[in-house]
Amino acid sequence: MASTLRLYLTCIRNTLEAAMCLQNFPCQEVERHNKPEVELKTSPELLLNPVLICRNEAEKCLIETSINSLRISLKVKQADELENILAKKFLRFLSMRAEAFQVLRRKPVQGYDISFLITNYHCEELQKQKLIDFIVQFMEDIDKEISELKMSVSTRGRLVATEFLKQF
Amino acid sequence: MAAIAVHQFAQCITCHAWSPDHSMVAFCPNNNEVHIYKLVNDKWEKVHVLQKHDQIVSGIDWSVKSNRIVSVSHDRNSYVWSQEGPEWVPTLVILRLNRAALCVQWSPKENKFAVGSGAKTVCVCYYEQENNWWVSKVIRKKHDSSVTSVAWHPNNILLATTSTDGKCRVFSTFIKGVDTRESKTGSSSDPKFGEQIVQLDLSSSWTFGVKWSPSGNTLAYVGHNSMIYFVDDISPSPLAQNLAFRNLPLRDVLFVSEKMVIGVGFDCNPMVFAADKSGLWYVRFIVTVIFYTCFVTSIRFLVLFSRSFIRFLGERRESLSGPKSGSQFSEAFGKLYGQAKHGLSNDTVEPSKIQGAVHDNCINCIALLNKKGSQTKRFSTSGMDGKVVIWDLGNQQDLKEYL
Repeated sequence: MASTLRLYLTCIRNTLEAAMCLQNFPCQEVERHNKPEVELKTSPELLLNPVLICRNEAEKCLIETSINSLRISLKVKQADELENILAKKFLRFLSMRAEAFQVLRRKPVQGYDISFLITNYHCEELQKQKLIDFIVQFMEDIDKEISELKMSVSTRGRLVATEFLKQF
Repeated sequence: MAAIAVHQFAQCITCHAWSPDHSMVAFCPNNNEVHIYKLVNDKWEKVHVLQKHDQIVSGIDWSVKSNRIVSVSHDRNSYVWSQEGPEWVPTLVILRLNRAALCVQWSPKENKFAVGSGAKTVCVCYYEQENNWWVSKVIRKKHDSSVTSVAWHPNNILLATTSTDGKCRVFSTFIKGVDTRESKTGSSSDPKFGEQIVQLDLSSSWTFGVKWSPSGNTLAYVGHNSMIYFVDDISPSPLAQNLAFRNLPLRDVLFVSEKMVIGVGFDCNPMVFAADKSGLWYVRFIVTVIFYTCFVTSIRFLVLFSRSFIRFLGERRESLSGPKSGSQFSEAFGKLYGQAKHGLSNDTVEPSKIQGAVHDNCINCIALLNKKGSQTKRFSTSGMDGKVVIWDLGNQQDLKEYL
């Protein structure tokens, strides 16, 4: 299983490396504006073909690129209802603190659990390689984090049940 | 070939231009100002700050003969700066644009300049003596998207443009009263202003960085699909050569001579393209580590031409980050933050140099530095990492034949 994860992450890393060729580009439609084209989608010629990388049905990653911005949307593995609720709560917690993460989008793209928006300004301020490292590390960690949370929930449940049943 | 000087001027540089004698450099530090630095006692000192624009300056060009600077900005304006005494005096140019201006270049005779814009138009500006201002003539409805780069043919009439619609076009910019009859091209071309001579639809993606060779016989431009295009014989039936490379796409090119082109871009390293006797272009790689080069030569076959080869003149030092451990988000989080380059002090421990190259972010501007009479070929590059690097081609024996 671990090897398929590595392949999945390597594929994402390579795609990001090629996709993260961004430049400052002012809006063609609105005067004196400069907005991420991948969000506006007003000029189709400024968008590149989106890339969808799937590990399996439940886990996929959509990379949409435009001339001055790049959007990465992730779908995290959710095997059962508990994982589903944990992932939802946890990613909501992160999204609400999006400004602290700089590249995190406040709302995920429809059909995905979490989205990142990288603009040319991030590429000017941050190192490209580290930015990619961050995204890949994030993906690596999110699975671990959710299974840890799941573990602690069931441990706590077992503990509570034991305590409760002691009185009988 | 080696980088002979590296100067960290700002956090990010959008474009730069040199004064005619190369003692001064003008650049935009990714804001609404143009800074001019002068070399005083081997040290660069800030001598002027040109403040007139109110959005990011996207293009600067310094004319060689008349010593004037033209700057264009995303605020849709352009200024021509001329030096009067110690001060630089701006003259507003009404471009008649309703979108950002993206690039600018003086014509070879310096009586006109061309501005590419996000309004899908090209403005050709010339000075009108009687009214004492710069007049702009606009080439409209020829481009389907933003004009990313403009280049003048040495004959002062033909203008090549690249656009994000993936095409490269050549226009005639003959303006009555500014251009004289004899300076027009051969009898075949109609000298009407704004007439499209040729449209090259070679690239499947955006095109950038168009340049003419010194004689004006060859045109080179790059596509965002990691390809470079060389076009000979600009006429309704041109001869084109496409060259693909395996690195990240280029942003700008520069003709060092008729047979040699330097390309710069997202790969952070200048690439050299050279033509052999039959006129076929090859890729040559330059990956230089500051002040020393290790020569690792390997010959590999490249796509497209069976005779093309690729050569590495230096070894790229990939610093692999160690095995990842720990599952805390804070770690990844801190990683992102730890390398934010706020402030310019670089006395702290630098994060591992990823590519071991001179530039560590995208290079977006390249300029030729040619002293009159000297044989050495030099050029300078600037990029999103805020460095201006001067490169020397003189000490490269195997490239000499192309110069």
